[in-house]
Amino acid sequence: MLEVVISKQLREYTLNLTLRAQPGEITVLMGLNGSGKSTTLNIVAGLLRPDAGTILLNDRCLCETREGIDVPPDCRDIGYVLQNPAVFPHMTVYENVAFGLRARHYPRPYVSEKTSEWMEHLQISDLAQIKAGRLSGGQKQRVALARALATKPELLMLDEPFTALDQESTRGVKDLIRNFVREMNIPCVLVTHRLLDSQEIGDRALVICRGVMEWEGSPGQMPEVCTICQCR
Amino acid sequence: MVLIGVICGLLVITALFAGCTQSAPATATPVPTTLPATAPETTTAALVAATPSAAQTTVAPTATPVPNFTPSQSNLVVFTAASLTGASNTIGSSFTKAYPGTTVSFDLDGTQALKTQVENGAYADVFISASNSYTNTLNKEGYFVPNTVQTLTTNYIIVILPPSNPGNIQTLADLAKPGVRIAMEASTVPAGTATLAVLNNLANDTYSQTWKNQTISNVVTYETSEPAVATKVGLGEVDAGFVYQSTATAAPSGTYQSITIPKKDNYLQTYTIGILNGSKNKAAAAWFEQFMISSAGQQILKQFGFTAP
Amino acid sequence: MKQNMAMFLERFRKKNYRPNLTYLIAGVLIAAVTFYLAFPIIALLIRVTPDMFFTTLKDPDVVRALWLSLFTTVITLTIVIVVGTPFAYFHSRYSYPGKVVVDTLIDLPLVLPPAVAGVALLVLYGRAGILGHYFNMFGISIAFTTLAVIMAQIFVASPFYLRQAKSLFEQLDPAYEQTARTLGASSFRILALVTIPMTAGGLISGAVMTFGRALGEFGATIMFAGNLPGVTQTMPLAVYVGMEGDINVGLTISILLVIISFAIMIVVRIIQKMEAARA
Repeated sequence: MLEVVISKQLREYTLNLTLRAQPGEITVLMGLNGSGKSTTLNIVAGLLRPDAGTILLNDRCLCETREGIDVPPDCRDIGYVLQNPAVFPHMTVYENVAFGLRARHYPRPYVSEKTSEWMEHLQISDLAQIKAGRLSGGQKQRVALARALATKPELLMLDEPFTALDQESTRGVKDLIRNFVREMNIPCVLVTHRLLDSQEIGDRALVICRGVMEWEGSPGQMPEVCTICQCR
Repeated sequence: MVLIGVICGLLVITALFAGCTQSAPATATPVPTTLPATAPETTTAALVAATPSAAQTTVAPTATPVPNFTPSQSNLVVFTAASLTGASNTIGSSFTKAYPGTTVSFDLDGTQALKTQVENGAYADVFISASNSYTNTLNKEGYFVPNTVQTLTTNYIIVILPPSNPGNIQTLADLAKPGVRIAMEASTVPAGTATLAVLNNLANDTYSQTWKNQTISNVVTYETSEPAVATKVGLGEVDAGFVYQSTATAAPSGTYQSITIPKKDNYLQTYTIGILNGSKNKAAAAWFEQFMISSAGQQILKQFGFTAP
Repeated sequence: MKQNMAMFLERFRKKNYRPNLTYLIAGVLIAAVTFYLAFPIIALLIRVTPDMFFTTLKDPDVVRALWLSLFTTVITLTIVIVVGTPFAYFHSRYSYPGKVVVDTLIDLPLVLPPAVAGVALLVLYGRAGILGHYFNMFGISIAFTTLAVIMAQIFVASPFYLRQAKSLFEQLDPAYEQTARTLGASSFRILALVTIPMTAGGLISGAVMTFGRALGEFGATIMFAGNLPGVTQTMPLAVYVGMEGDINVGLTISILLVIISFAIMIVVRIIQKMEAARA
């Protein structure tokens, strides 16, 4: 389980958020652009430091500002697919997926086994030797997903994973995410600005407006209008 | 269509270049001057007689009658051996004072560089050379107006040291001490040839070939002009440098220490002055040459440490 | 009659001369630039016969200048890349007090006349120099040595690489490095496997410019390092001295420099083509 309580002074407002994500569930983070969704993910991943806060992942403390605990991002064991899926264009699909495993210095046979396994899961095995820079948007998304999951992270985070995809690919990716999150029984935080996405894939939803949680609950019961900033 | 454009462009540019090169053959025939080719010491009266376009102005109270000039014919470009750098300002202002309306631009560089430039078409009115052999070459190649090449002045070689004498050089023999750093001109520079001759003379007369070889192995840089050697010495970066006596004499006292080289071993560098065939200002060039050879010019040169020829 | 006139004019208008004029201007411009850049090189090649070239190639001054130039330039390039790449990386990723000053300093050697750079180096590192006289006390002399040549080259040529590297790193989408970080990669791994391969093309181009500038350096070299065959007489110095003395030497070295420059350009083009083909 992921427990996050953070605050951070941003340029136009203060981000003040409490977030809980249950294992096996997909928690959707929604809100307008600039409301602090991506910033929240970056803080959880360790790429940004909060002014004050606590981040607990499965009883492991990743960040506690009062005690000066701040686990660096490479040790947090979080799978994070950013808005730019950032597949390394100069590496093959295989090398991309294997990147995290190799970075953790796993032995070669293990790396090879896991990489093949995950390419299999995401149906990109036939693309293994292709330079990732050449892939289509949907293919890149799947490579990024395989890469993030191959290291068996404790938490999966996705920032706007469907924006650049067509309907067909979106459906495919949604199914994959749902399956893996359930199977691996890890919490998943997914940022999106589309109501439809949150309804199709989310188990819980959170609406953020100008750094503050506006509403929390089941996606199907989301209110029409956001009271703080009149969004939607 | 692009191809047609490229061809047109090439034609246009070729035409432009052809047009530019038209100007070169225009100066083929040298203008016969009424310059007295004899006595280097001409009085100012003779100067007046020699200039056909001189017009006596009634307003000149000075002893020297001032000729009238049209500004367009009176800017002189003088290619000058670099060793005259110090003297050039004074020469320039004195000349323009004596000949109001004229301006003089000095192009100062190693004589070898200037010679190459002239041979490749650079424009100059007067050429002051530090080397007889370069002068002879240019003369043979027809760059000088006949009978205008005259001896201007002479210079000897001297050794200068930084004021603090970091290498503790007391005599010429010390130049061969191990670890001494010497600056010299490249052999293509007239001062460089002169220095090599001096070293040979000294080796044959007083010191040995070993001395000469060790001195040469102590050379850390062959500069491309004589003033550059003086600069390196002045900065204290080398222990000694071979330069012209004029450089040592003309420098403010305290700039260098120096060690003179006995006259019998020294190399007398002869400077010549001549009017170039390509000059468009031959009359004014003649005035300049006269000025330099006259007592006025010679006085300035003496003040800057050159030796009268 | 009027009708014929009208029809004639109609045809003119229909032919639409505007694009043709554009092509014409383009052609002229292309020809002008090509002419200006290519013809001096061609003139050089015409002036030296292959016979004279190969004979002069054996001249000891030519050989020494060639080796010295290549030796010093390669070392300069190595130092600039090895030190400059991490420097540019940190400079682009972090902000620190005085960053603006450092930014300006990186650009300074580009506008500073090389002779001025040479004087400055001499006044600092020379035997009588501000720092130099300390070195001298320990018996270390810098001016008039091959080291001085390398130092002068680094001073004038490094901005080409540093600016390029800094700009490339700044423009690289941080998402790549951030993702690599969350996947567990160390800083070194990120630099070596992600950052540099993704900026390699531009870095090579910067390195080439640095090499070219270092190879052609004259003013700072002659001021700080002096001119001593075999020790500090690089090819540009040898050309200068040669042109005033033995013209054949000057011309031969000039052509050598042209050949080397072309060779570098061709190698770089090939590398870039290979990179593009792989991606």
